[in-house]
Amino acid sequence: MKTRIKELRARYNLTQEDLAKKVGVRRETILFIEKGNYNPSLQLAHDIAKALQTTIDELFIFEDE
Amino acid sequence: MKDKKVVVLSIIIVAAVLTTLFFYLKSAGDIELNEILLVGIVLVLVALAMYIVWDRLKNVQKGLPAKDERLININYKAGYYAFIAAIWSAVFTPVLFDILFRYEPKGGDVAAIVVMVSGFVFVISYLYLARKGN
Repeated sequence: MKTRIKELRARYNLTQEDLAKKVGVRRETILFIEKGNYNPSLQLAHDIAKALQTTIDELFIFEDE
Repeated sequence: MKDKKVVVLSIIIVAAVLTTLFFYLKSAGDIELNEILLVGIVLVLVALAMYIVWDRLKNVQKGLPAKDERLININYKAGYYAFIAAIWSAVFTPVLFDILFRYEPKGGDVAAIVVMVSGFVFVISYLYLARKGN
């Protein structure tokens, strides 16, 4: 699963740490989500989307296997 | 605030365990195999606890949570692997001792090995999963 978190972070001038503080997780969690190494829960995905003023659909790019 | 309390409490527990271990080793005369294994278990657990405390402290100081959903998932996974390792080591320890040393280990020795193996598996799985991401 790919994400647009990095792109949106850059748009709002947020570091991984800033975003982590906003959604209440550790910085490494944001890093692993960005790299596609961790699939967040629906709640966390919603929180990240809200923090980046977008929707889950736009934030995460689901690819057919 | 709760995270800070947990970190402080963890540091106190680690210090208490190390002090107890120091006095135990100082007063113990000849140490048997199962005692060496027990000391090994304690050291493994203390090392892991120290790493976790350091990691949490680092995050709390930055105003980030000490643990989040990813870390909780990692704990569950590492615990599952440790449980499987405990079952297999309980089965194979007496067999391996018999094949390698022609010696039937006591119940205490087997218990110590099972706890140590599962402890090691937990530590290794935890560290691996923490670096891998999930």
